[in-house]
Parts: sequence; structure tokens; C-alpha cells
Amino acid sequence: MKLERRNGNPIVRTIIYIVCIFLAVLSLFPFVVMIVNSTRSTFEIQQHAVSLIPSTFLKSNWAQFTGKSFNPFKGFLNSMIISVGATACTVYFSTLTAYALVAYQWKMRQPVFVFILCVMMIPATVTTIGFYQFMYRIGMTNNFLALILPAIYAPSAVFFMRQFMLASLPLELLDSARIDGSREFYTFNRIAMPIMKPAMATQGIFSFVGTWNSLFIPSVILTDINKFTMPLMVSLLKGDIYKREFGAIYLGLALSVLPLFIVYFALSKYIVAGVALGSVKG
Amino acid sequence: MKQKGHGFSYAKYGYLFCIPFFVAYLVFNFYPTIYTILLGFTDSKGLGNINFHVYTEDIFRNFRTILHSQSFKISLRNTVVIWIMNFIPQITLALLLTAWFTSRRNKIRGQGFFKVVFYMPNIITAASVAILFNALFAFPKSPVNDLLIDLGILDKAFNFPTDPRSSRWIVAFIQFWQWYGYTMIILVSGVLGINPEVFEAAEIDGANDRQTFFRITLPNIRTILIYTLITSMIGGLNMYDIPKLYLNGGPNNATLTANVFIYNQAFAGSYMYNRAAAASMIMFLIIAVCSVVVFFIMRDRD
Amino acid sequence: MKKILALILALVMVAALCACGQSAPAPAATGSAPAASSDAAPAPADAAPAEEPAAESAITTSTIGNGPVVINLYSFTDEVPKMVARYAELHPEFANKYTVKVTIQATTDGGYQIMLDQALATGGADAPDIYCAESAFVIKYTSGDASSFAGTYKDLGIDVDKMIKDAEIAPYSVEIGSRDGEVVALAYQATGGAFIYRRSIAKDVWGSDDPAVVEEKIGAGTQSWDKFWDAAEDLKAKGYAIVSGDGDIWHAIENSSSTPWVVDGKLNIDPKREEFLDMSLKLKENNYHNETQDWQDAWYGDMKGAGEKGVLGFYGPAWLINYVMAGNSGGSKPGEGTYGDWAACAPNVGFLWGGTWLVSNKAVAGTDKAAGVAEILTWITLDTSEDGLQYGWANGTWSGEQGTKDTVASNVVMKKSDGTLDFLGGQNMFDVFTKANDAANGRVLTQYDETINNWWRDQVRQYVAGNVTRDEAIANFKMQVADNLDVIVD
Repeated sequence: MKLERRNGNPIVRTIIYIVCIFLAVLSLFPFVVMIVNSTRSTFEIQQHAVSLIPSTFLKSNWAQFTGKSFNPFKGFLNSMIISVGATACTVYFSTLTAYALVAYQWKMRQPVFVFILCVMMIPATVTTIGFYQFMYRIGMTNNFLALILPAIYAPSAVFFMRQFMLASLPLELLDSARIDGSREFYTFNRIAMPIMKPAMATQGIFSFVGTWNSLFIPSVILTDINKFTMPLMVSLLKGDIYKREFGAIYLGLALSVLPLFIVYFALSKYIVAGVALGSVKG
Repeated sequence: MKQKGHGFSYAKYGYLFCIPFFVAYLVFNFYPTIYTILLGFTDSKGLGNINFHVYTEDIFRNFRTILHSQSFKISLRNTVVIWIMNFIPQITLALLLTAWFTSRRNKIRGQGFFKVVFYMPNIITAASVAILFNALFAFPKSPVNDLLIDLGILDKAFNFPTDPRSSRWIVAFIQFWQWYGYTMIILVSGVLGINPEVFEAAEIDGANDRQTFFRITLPNIRTILIYTLITSMIGGLNMYDIPKLYLNGGPNNATLTANVFIYNQAFAGSYMYNRAAAASMIMFLIIAVCSVVVFFIMRDRD
Repeated sequence: MKKILALILALVMVAALCACGQSAPAPAATGSAPAASSDAAPAPADAAPAEEPAAESAITTSTIGNGPVVINLYSFTDEVPKMVARYAELHPEFANKYTVKVTIQATTDGGYQIMLDQALATGGADAPDIYCAESAFVIKYTSGDASSFAGTYKDLGIDVDKMIKDAEIAPYSVEIGSRDGEVVALAYQATGGAFIYRRSIAKDVWGSDDPAVVEEKIGAGTQSWDKFWDAAEDLKAKGYAIVSGDGDIWHAIENSSSTPWVVDGKLNIDPKREEFLDMSLKLKENNYHNETQDWQDAWYGDMKGAGEKGVLGFYGPAWLINYVMAGNSGGSKPGEGTYGDWAACAPNVGFLWGGTWLVSNKAVAGTDKAAGVAEILTWITLDTSEDGLQYGWANGTWSGEQGTKDTVASNVVMKKSDGTLDFLGGQNMFDVFTKANDAANGRVLTQYDETINNWWRDQVRQYVAGNVTRDEAIANFKMQVADNLDVIVD
């Protein structure tokens, strides 16, 4: 291994840039297609599903999209309520549960952790049926809480938080907080949580994206068109096989991706900025 | 129960802070899970069927049916093959990108942008991705075919969707493409959690980039690596969306994964919830065994 | 961090407030009758209209009318709800007597059926009174697993047998909608198939674009494919393809077989369907088609003649003309693209493709809803007057403005309607489609068709591509059916 200079080998750097730019193009490609297609007519899309040349049908697609018997703004709001609620539940309570698993010595700690891992492994296809039947019986259909509250229980997020804490939560810090007279709940909120910021941002993004895009469970729980989420409204555009309005569908898809961008860019600074955090002292 | 020293009298908070999680579990998931487990031992078929019975004389009947089913064996093999085909390149690329983006001397310009962009394939719904790839690889006329012909790689259009091998590769590629950014973000956030002083010490000792990565970074994100491996394995063995939506398990069962098989049992037309539940339990056992192995291996090195 | 946390908390509170506000009546209702949802009948019924106006900030079809009697309508598109809304608009006395509560759910991922099945099984005040089913799964609700929920049209007080006769409803539609000889479901749209061909190509090859000539060339009504192959050879000599892909002939083959996929719980491969293996191979080996797959770019491309070879025609019902081919012809008036260069003629074998049926719940009969449900079903599926839905549907005027003309279940309505289309070069499509509806066969459908067809066509493609032998293809297919369905395979 030869010694590298501060700015690295120029050949290596060039390779890195080429790979990164190539991957970036691959990543952005579907979004470009989506946006371009939202300006094309259904028949143009049927003739050539993938194109990079915009057309002139944005307005008529918009008219089709908003001319249906549902209100996209309402769908947007519904999606927002569910996703923000579910994400906040997942992030906060998963951190809390993981904290319990890491910061305290208690008898059931290991069994509880193993249990959390186990429930994560059960394939969801069939349990979904049970979940739906149960929600139906207790009258929680058409209720947003049936989609928000279950997010408190997010085993994979707990697992992630636990692994992250094991690596980066200094237990001595908690001890010294106790010596200073800090209450346990306060210690968690004010001392542990700030350290967990990158992890929380990560899980926040994943959870938001997952809830925002989820289609199957909302589709069986929400049957009142006034409570539909954005993806449900877009799926209604598909309708019959012979009457799919692809232009409007792509417009709907492009619009439903927008909020994800905003949330992602807002939270990504914690993921991106962390490097600076390490090097400031350097 | 009460030990001296660290944890003394604090144990109750461990229980206390877990309460919300378990309340949510009991309210929303306990019943469905138990229901699923029980269904596997019954003759519950069809819709709205409330009169079903446990197979008392032959309790594992559904389980045996599933294990003897040729389709299930095929689906299991496909699942493992497709998971390996996407996981190895995925974790390799994610680690490589993590090394590049967290290197303290070799600052990549625009890495903030790249980190954000690489995750983006993950925010599109599986249905849209499936439609996109369907169009890209269609036959006899599609962008990929046109491109390959223009480049002189093919002399006439190749029928991707009916070719079992290439369909499997396409599914594996989609999985790879959708998830490497996700894995990278997890790994990067793990690296960010490492105390900067550790790196500073390494720098003072004169460690180069490669040494820092292998000797400092990797060992310090071991717990996160376990997480990545376990969740990716669970996700991989439960792979469903793309194989189902891209070619519906075809061609000739080449992309039939275990979870698509389970779905078919329940919804393809016969509503055999009992067999779907039994297959779910079998998958659960397989995943659990694999997870134990991973935990064991990763701990062993310590 | 603090700012973000504060923001998230604020949003959560707003979310919680909204959620609680909107769902307030529901917990109250379940609270009063926790266990049995069927006993909670009065509460939700009363609560629903009360909360509706508040939530109704935009156009919505959530409820139609404002009468005291509630009718629940379940659908997978807004097509039928719009019809009901139109009916209520035309008949204020209906709107004053009934409130139709609409539930729409897309068929994506089977979501519609799961929800519908649960609602049917649970019953009670929210149970569906009228529900829609499309051809892919209608059999399940008329004579399959979920048929026990369906009520007969007769029990609603509809003199159904006489009305079907008077309206000359397409026989296949009645066959599909019957359970043990009693009608439980009917359709409004007719989906009997024709052969839709390019006039210019017919002229070039056979010297005439007259439907009678093309019918003779493809052997219309012969129930065989012999003449089809002769025609394919004629076309090949001139550099044309007879169809776009093998999917085009599949619908015709599937529907013209004498027996369904499943007979007495056993898998049954009808010889005509098995022959599709050989026919698909023949199409490819002789270069009779463009090797496209239905619903893919190249298939649409063939509609405007953009493929490798010009394609003579497509097998399809009227909806294929209106919603797919017209838009993909590369023009919107005669002379542009292939618009106007088409005509329809009787196919060599009769078939049907698609359609939506209206089913009613057996619990409706004898209640105060029965008359309202009967009114809607009659207006949509059986009314042949110029005020009925089908007359407007056939002439493209049902929703008030000039829309797309489509074929309807009643031949009587089609006979008095004007089906001339510029797209078909001024041909009156109803001349062909009234006959097509009579030729279609509704007796060979099963509730498994969608799934089984997928597997079968997959194996046929494998065979044609040379990946498997003929015997392997059949063996693989049998394995798929045996392993995934509750069907016995010998």
C-alpha cells in the first residue's frame, strides 16, 4: 500500500467521479421519464412508453387528473396526515424502545430483543388479511388512526436504532447525567436523542417513504373516497384495462413523488452533514 | 434481579420504555399473527369461511402439502438465487461508496448530491418501477433493444420478457438498483455515529485510507453491518413487489419467489388461506434459522 | 433539530385532530355496540349523512341523493356511480327517497375483492347492496365461491325473463350472470368481439374492402381457423401480417372452446385451447405476425401501421375500437394516420372480451331498499327506452355531451341507435356487433380464468421460443395449476 496524498490519487478520483455520475444518471432517469410522460398524451405513451422528449399535453392531463370524482388536494392532505403521523410514531417510539434495550440492564432484555427480531421475520402476506379483518371488526376502517398507530410498532426500526446505539451511544454519558440528577425520561429526550440524530433522520426518511407509497393496506382500510391517499387516487385512474389514462397517471405519480423529495432533502442534511461534523475538528 | 452497580434500580425503565411498542403490538399485530399461525393447521379455504376446523388427525397436512409442492421448491430456489444475485453487488457497491464518501482525506466533491441522488430509486413505487422496466425491455421494440442494436451488440431484437435467465437478471438488477442507495445511507449513518476522535487517533498514527477503512471503520460499524445483513436477508427472502409486478412470477416460473407463491396460494383464485399461512410459517422458520447463522458468524469473529 | 421536532410535533397534533374529527362518529357507534357490528345498524346510517356535508369540500361521488333509505354501492371505477348520479339527477323522486353511499376501490392487487368479500361476509348496515364485478372475476360472484351472497333480479320484483327477451339482451351476458338458471347479474355494455381490419390492406390483397369479402376470406362464422390460415398466406405474399401477435387470436380461441378450464373441480384442457400451442408456433414460423405482445408498445404501434409489416386486423369488441385503436391510429379524423381506414366484420369464431356486471345482495329483497335497487338495476341493464342508460351509452349521449359510442347489452337498443363511426369509414358498427353478441359464448368461463390464462400463455410463449417441448409446456402448466389452485389435476 502506497501512501496517498491529502487529495488522493487523481486517477482514483476520476474513476470515482465517473462511477458516481453514471449511478446518478441511472437514479435520475426514471424521474425524468415520469415528468416527461406527464406532459404526453395517453396514446403517445402507449406508442412509446419511454421518451425523453416532452410533449404538450400537460394541461389536458391535469384536467383529466382533477376532473375525476376525487379531489387530489384532499388526497395530498390525507397522505400527509398519515405519513407524518406514522413517521413521527415510528421514529420516536422505536428510538425509545431501542433505548430501553441498550441503556438498561433488565431481565427480559434479551428475550424481548429476540422477540422483536422474530416478529420481523414473519412474511406479511397472510398477517395482512388478519390485520384487515381485525380492523374491520373493531370498526377502524376509514379511520386514519388504523394506519398511524400501528407505526408505533416498527421492529426493523427498533433493530436499527439498537444497533446504532450499541455502536455510538456512550453509556458513561448517561451515567454522568444521572449523577447530575437528570430524570431518566429527560435524559432520553435531551441527551440520548440528539446523539441519535443521523439514525433518526435515516429511519424518518425510510418510514415516510414507506408510508407515503404504501398502497395495499390503505386500499383495504380506506373505502371512503374522501379519505383516499394520493397513491389510492392514482390507482383509481387505472380503472378498466381499456381505459387507462396514462398521461394523467404519470402526472399523478410525478406529483406524489414531490413531497417525498421535500422531506428527503430536508432530512438528508443530517446524513450528509455528518461528515463535516467529523472533520471540523480535524 | 437487582444487581449492584450499573443498572441498579433503573431496570424498571427498561420495561417502562418498551410499553408503547408492546401495546401497539398487542393491539394491532398480536391477533393477526396468532390468526395466521392457527390458520396453517386448519382447513380454512374460500371466502368469508367461518366454519373451519383444525386438521386433528393430521395436523401438519398443509405443511406437508407445501413442502411437497414442486412450485414451492422452485420458488425457494429462485428467492435465494435472486437475493444473492442482487445482494453481493449491492453490499459491495454500498461499502465502496461508503468508503469513498466518508474518507477524510479524499474529499469527493458533490458527495452530498450523490448521497441524496443514489437513494432516489427507492422512493418510486414498485408498480411504477415495474412498468418502467417492462417498457424498457419489451419486445420486439423497446429502448434497450433499440440501443443494443444501434451499438451492434445484437443484430435483431431479443425477447427479454420470455427468456427465463435474463428475466431473473433484470429482477435482480432492479432490486440492486433500488436498494444499494438505501444500504449506503444506513452504512454512512453508521460511520457518522463513530466518535471522530477514533479517526483522529488513526490519522495521527499515520494510517492511510484503506487501513482506516478496514481497521477502524468496518469494525466500528459491525453492529450496523449485522443489521444490514439481517434486514436485507429478511427483505430478500420476503421479496415480493418487483417479481410480482414485473412479470408476475414468469416466464416459466423464473421469477416466482416464495412470497409470490404465498400470495398465489391466497389470492390466485382459490383463497387457500390455510396453505398460505402454512407456507408463511415455513418461510418464517427458514428466515429465523438463517438469521441465527448470521448472528452466530458475526459474533464469532469478535 | 428543535425546530424540526417542533414542526413534526405540530404536524402530528394537526394530524391527530383531523383524524379524530373525521372519525368521531365511528368510535361512538362501535362503542354503543362493541361486539356485533350488525347490531350497530342505526348509528352509522344516521351518522354518515350528518358528517358528509362537512367533509364534502370538493366534487365527490361519496353520496348520491338525500333520502332516508340508504343503498350501498360498491364499484372499482367511477363509471357505475356516475350512472347512478345521472339517474338521481333525472329522477328527483328517487333522490328524495334514497341516499346511495358509494364505495370505490381500484382492482389493484386484488384490493377491491378483498374489501368486497369482507363487507359481504360481515353483512349489516354497511353491506353492499349493489356491487360491480368485471369479467375477470364476475363468475366468482355469480356462480363461483361468493355466489351465495347474490340475490336474484326476480326477488327484487323485476320481471327479468320477459324484460331480457323484450330487450334482446346478449345471451352470453345472461349466461354469465346466472346462478342455477336464475339471473343474479347483468351487464350494460356488450363486449362480443368482431374482426376489425384495415380497409386499404384488404383492398390491396383481395381487391375489395367490403366486410362481406373479408368475412368470406377469414371464414366468418365457420367456428374454425382453416380459412384464417389461407388468408394469412395471401397476406404474407403481399408482405402483410394477418394479426399483430398471438395474443390477438387467444381471446377468440379461449372463448370458442367447448369446455371451460375447470370441470367438476378438475383441470380440463380443451383441445381447442391446447391447439393454441400449435397455432402460436405456426404464426411465428410462417412469419404471419409481428410477434408483439398485447398491451405493449409494438402492439399499439401496429394500430397505426408502425410495425415491421402492415397488420390486417385485430380481434376485439367495440371498446377496443373506441378506447384503444382510435387513439393509437395516429390521427383523429379520416385521412390522418390509419383513422378511417378500418372496418369491422364478423369473426371466424365468436368470442367476448371484458365487461362489467351489476350484482345485488340477496339481503336486499324484502327491505325498503328493494324498490330503489330494482329501479337502478333496471334502468342500467334492462331499460330500452330513449331515457334509459343503454340508449345514451350506445349513442354516446348518456352523460349529456357527445361522448364515445359503445355497444350495449340490448340488441333492441342498438337496432334503433346510430353506430356510424368515422373511424370505421362511416360503417355502422352495430350491424356487426349485434351479431357478434349473439355469437359470443358465456358458458366456458370460470373464476380461475385470469390466473390460468396467464400460466397457459406463458407456457405457450416458452414453447414457441423453443425453451421447452410441447409436453414440457403442458406438464409445467399442470404443475402450476395443481400447486396454486384448489383444482384437481390428473
